[in-house]
Amino acid sequence: MATERQSSRGKRWLTYGGLGLCGVAAGLPFVWMVLASFMTEGETLRRVLLPEQVQWTNYALAWKEADFGLYFKNSLIIAVMQVGGTLLFSLMAAYPLARIPFRGREVVFVGILGTMMVPEMVTTVPNFLLINWLNRYSPIPWLNNWPALTIPFMASAFAIFLLRQFLRGIPGELWEAARMDGAGHLRFLFQIALPLCRAPLLTVGMFTFIGSWNSLAWPLLVTNTPEWRPISVGLQQFVSEAGPEVHLQMAGAVIATLPVLLVYFLIQKEFTEGISLSGLKA
Amino acid sequence: MRRPRLQRWLAWGVAWMAGACGSASPPPPQPSPDEVDPQGQAVVFWYQHTRERESALQEMIAQFNRENPHNIQVKGEYAGSYSHIYNKMLVGLQGGSLPQLVVAYQNQAQVYHSADGVVDLLPYMNSPKWGLSPEARADYIESLLEQDRMRGIQMAFPPNRSMEILYYNADWLRELGSDHPPRNWEEFAQFCRRAKAQPFSKAANPQRAVGYLLDMDASRLAAMVFSRGGDFIDPAQSEYNFNTPEVKAALQLLVKLAEEGAVEVLAEPNGDTREFGSGQLLFAIGSSSGLPFMKRAVNSGAKFAWGVAAVPYEGERPVVNVYGASVALCRTTPEQQLATWLFLKWFTEPEQQARWVRASGYFPARRSAAAGLGAYFAENPNFQIAYGLLDYGKTEPTAPGYETVRRLVQNAMVDAMDGAQLDPLLNRLTRSANATLEPE
Amino acid sequence: MKKIPLREQAIAWGFLSPALLVLLVFGIWPIAYALYISLHRWRIKQEAFIGVDHYVRALSDPALYNGFKVTFFYALGTIPAELVLSTGLACLLFKILRGKGFFRVLYFLPYITPVIASAVVFRTLFSPHPSSLANRFWGFWGFENQRWLYENKSVVALGLKALGFSTYPAWVDTFFPSLALVSVILYNIWVYVGYNTVILLAGLSAIPRQYYEAAEIDGANPWQSFCQITLPLISPTLFFLSTVAIIGTFKAFNHIYILRTPGARDTTDVLSVVIFDQIFQNHNAGYAAALAFILFIAILVLTLVQNRVLGRRVFYGD
Repeated sequence: MATERQSSRGKRWLTYGGLGLCGVAAGLPFVWMVLASFMTEGETLRRVLLPEQVQWTNYALAWKEADFGLYFKNSLIIAVMQVGGTLLFSLMAAYPLARIPFRGREVVFVGILGTMMVPEMVTTVPNFLLINWLNRYSPIPWLNNWPALTIPFMASAFAIFLLRQFLRGIPGELWEAARMDGAGHLRFLFQIALPLCRAPLLTVGMFTFIGSWNSLAWPLLVTNTPEWRPISVGLQQFVSEAGPEVHLQMAGAVIATLPVLLVYFLIQKEFTEGISLSGLKA
Repeated sequence: MRRPRLQRWLAWGVAWMAGACGSASPPPPQPSPDEVDPQGQAVVFWYQHTRERESALQEMIAQFNRENPHNIQVKGEYAGSYSHIYNKMLVGLQGGSLPQLVVAYQNQAQVYHSADGVVDLLPYMNSPKWGLSPEARADYIESLLEQDRMRGIQMAFPPNRSMEILYYNADWLRELGSDHPPRNWEEFAQFCRRAKAQPFSKAANPQRAVGYLLDMDASRLAAMVFSRGGDFIDPAQSEYNFNTPEVKAALQLLVKLAEEGAVEVLAEPNGDTREFGSGQLLFAIGSSSGLPFMKRAVNSGAKFAWGVAAVPYEGERPVVNVYGASVALCRTTPEQQLATWLFLKWFTEPEQQARWVRASGYFPARRSAAAGLGAYFAENPNFQIAYGLLDYGKTEPTAPGYETVRRLVQNAMVDAMDGAQLDPLLNRLTRSANATLEPE
Repeated sequence: MKKIPLREQAIAWGFLSPALLVLLVFGIWPIAYALYISLHRWRIKQEAFIGVDHYVRALSDPALYNGFKVTFFYALGTIPAELVLSTGLACLLFKILRGKGFFRVLYFLPYITPVIASAVVFRTLFSPHPSSLANRFWGFWGFENQRWLYENKSVVALGLKALGFSTYPAWVDTFFPSLALVSVILYNIWVYVGYNTVILLAGLSAIPRQYYEAAEIDGANPWQSFCQITLPLISPTLFFLSTVAIIGTFKAFNHIYILRTPGARDTTDVLSVVIFDQIFQNHNAGYAAALAFILFIAILVLTLVQNRVLGRRVFYGD
C-alpha cells in the first residue's frame, strides 16, 4: 500500500513538474507581452526583464490613440453576430450530413470542405466584387456596414465538419427512441442532440470568436471609415516607418487579447468529465 | 488656340499609349485640364499614415478645405499599410470604387497605370491655367520627379522623400581617434576594425562591439554601389548589370570585414537601432525616416553624441540613395482629377511642405521649403545635415519588375556573405534580373 | 441500397440550405471566379484570355516545386508532432485534479497571443546570437552556434558539417528541410498544440463515463482503457484534426510569413507565400490564381486520399 501511494505521488510530481516546465514555454510570449506593455520604450529596446515602473499610461495612450473604445464595440458586435450565425447554420447543416443518408451527401460534404482549401488572398478579390454588387442592389448597404463584416462568415466549413463528427457519434438508439415518441428531425436536433453537443458547440463558438476578433485584412478592405472598424485595425496604428513603438503595441495587444482569454476560460470549464448517458441501456 | 489642341493631342496620345500597353479597350481621351472646372468637387485620399503624422495630415486637409477658392472638399482616409492599400486598389480597379488620390510606391504606380488606374500628371503640371509656374517647376528637385516618371509618363508625384544615410557614434569615433565620420570606404573599414578591438566606454554591454551590422536589403547595397559611382541598371532603365567593379567592391569589402568580425549580419528586426542606441554598434546605414527612432533609442540607451552623414563615397561628391512613397492621381472624372491635382499642388507648396516635414520627418521635394524649417533644423541638426545631401540624390531602378529584382539582390547578398564566388553569383543575378524585364 | 424517402431528403436539404447558401455565394463562387482569373492574363485588371498558359508556366516554375517541397516538409514536421503532443496533453489536462483551469489556459496562450508578440519572443529566443537561449542550450550539448531562422542550409548538411565533411553534394541541400524551416516548424507546433488540445478536450468530454467505469470494474489499467475506449471514441475528433491539419498546413501563411528572413532565402516559402509574392511583389494576379488553383487540387486530392485511407478506421459508435 505504501509503495503504491509513493509511486502515485511520484507520478503526480512528475506530471505537474512536466506540465509546469512546458507551461513556461507556452506562457513565455504572453508573459513578455504583458511585461512589455508596462515598460517604457527605452526598456523594450534595452531588453530588460522587468519594467522599473509600471507604465499604466501606455494603456491610456493606446486606448485613446487608436480609438479603442469604438473598435472594441465594433469587434464585439461583429464577433457576436458571426458566432450566432455560425453556430445556428453550421449545426443545422451538420445534422443531415451526419444523420440523414440523402442522395449526394458525400459530394456536398466534400464540396463544403473544398471551400476551406483555397488561400484567402486569392478569394479576396471575387468576394469584394460580390460585396460591391450586393451593396449596389440590396436594400441595406453592405460596405462600411455590418453585413459585409458578418454574413460571409456565418457558415464555416470548419464548424460544419466538427459538428458532423460529434453528431455522428450519437448512438442510434437515441434517435430510435425519439422517433417512437413522435419527434421529427427538428425536435431531435434541438432537444436531444444539441445538449449533447455542448462541448463542440462551445469550441466552435470560441474559435469563430477568435477568428473574427483577429481578422484584419478583410475589415480594412470593406470599410473606408472608422465607423465599423474592428480592434485589429487599432493594433496596426502602432506600426510605422519611424519604428514600432513596442510598448504601445503590446499594450494594445493585451487589450485586444483579454476578451479572448476570458471567453476561453469560461468555455473550458465545460470540458468536464464526460457526459452521462443515464436512462439508456449501453 | 494652338496650345490647347496640342495638349489635347498629347493627352490623347498618352491615353492611347497607356491603352495599348495592356488593357482591352483604350480609355476615353482626357480633356485638357484648362477646360475643366474643379468647383465643388469631392476628393478622397487613401494613405497609410498613423498617429501624429495622420493628425497633422488631417489638420492640413482641413485647412485646405477651408481655404481653397473652389470649394473642393478633401477627405483623408487611413486605408491600412502599403500592402493593404495595394489590395484595396486591386479590387477597386476591378469595379469597386477608387479614391482620387492614393499613396503608392513606384512599382505600384506602374502597375496601376498599366491598368489605366492612374493618370499622367504631366498635363496638370504643364497646364498654363492650373499647372506649376516655371519658378515652382525649377524649385522641385528634378531627380525626385524623375523617379516617378517612367517611359515619359509622370505616374506619381513626390510629396516627400527619405534617403539612405550613415548613422555614426561620434563619441566612440573620437575614442577611436577620429573627429569626423568616415569619408570613404577605406576609412569606414578602418574604423569598423578599430571598433571591434576597442568597445565603447559607455556601452551597455562592454563586451559587445561591432563596427557595422549588415542588413540584407537591396537599398543598402544600392547605397554602397551608388556611393562608388556605380548603378544596378543602365541610364535607359533597359538592362541590369550587377557584375560591375562597384558592386564587387562593395560585396568584397563586406565579406572581408565579416571574416574579421568587424561586420556582422543583422539578425533581428531593428537590431541595429537597438545596438546603436546601446553604444554597441559604431555605424548604421539606414533610412532617414528612422531618425526619430534612433534618437529615442540613444536617449533611452547609452546617451552619447551621434551624427549622420552621407554614406562613405569614392570620388568628389557623395551620391545618396533617395527613395520614398509617392502619391498617384487615380483615373476618375476630369473634374475630380483636376480638383485632386489642385490639392496636391497646394500640399507641395513650400509652406505646406515645411509643415509636413516638421510633422513627418520626411524630406521635402522642393528646395524653398527649407525657408520655413529654420527652427526645425536648429532642433534637429542631424536632419539638416541629411537634408543638405538631397541634391546628391540618385534613385534605384524604376524598371517594371524591380520589386522582384530586389528580392533576387537580397538572395545574392546572402550567398555572397556565405562565401559564394562573386563572378558567377553576380552573373547569375544579372541574368535573372534581366529576365524580369522581358515582356510576358 | 435502401431507398431514402423523398420527405427525408427534402428535410436534409432544408437543414442544409442556410449554410449552403452562404458557402455557395462566399465560398464556392470566389473559387470559380479565381479559376476564371487564372485563365486570363491578369496583372491587376482583366486582360486577354490565355487559357492554360499560366498552368503550363507553373509546371516549369522552380518556385512552385520549391513551394511544394517546403510545404510538404512543413506538413510532415508539424502534423504528427502536433497530433501526438496534443493528444497526450489533452488527456493530461482532462484528468488532472489541481489547477485544471490554470493549465488549460496556459497551454492555450500560444494560440491566442497575437502573432506580433509571439513572433518577437520566438525570434529573440532563437536569435543567431551566441547568447540566445537556443544557442546556449545547443552549446550546452557541445554543438556549434546556429543561425536558426537565418540558416538556409539543410539540417542534414549541417549534420554533415558537424561530422567533419566540409563539402557535400548539392542535393543534400535541395532534398532536405533547412534549419530555418525547422525553426518555423517548431514555432508552429508550439502555437497550434494548444489549438488541437482544446478540440480534443471537447472530444474527450463527449465520452460517456459509463464506459470507463465499466472498464475499471473489468480491471483494465489506464493504458488499456486509453487504447480500447479513449482512442476509438476520440477517433472522430482525431480524424477531424488531421483533415483540418492537412488543409490548414498546406494553406498556412501568417505564422510562417512573419518569421521570414533574408538569410533563409526561399527555404521557408510555403505555397501560400509563393502566391502572396506573386500578388504583392510580382503584381501578377492571374498567375497567382493559377498557383492557388494548383494548390487547391493538391489539397483536395490529399483530403480525399486521407478520407479513403483513414475514414474507415474512424469509430463512430454506431
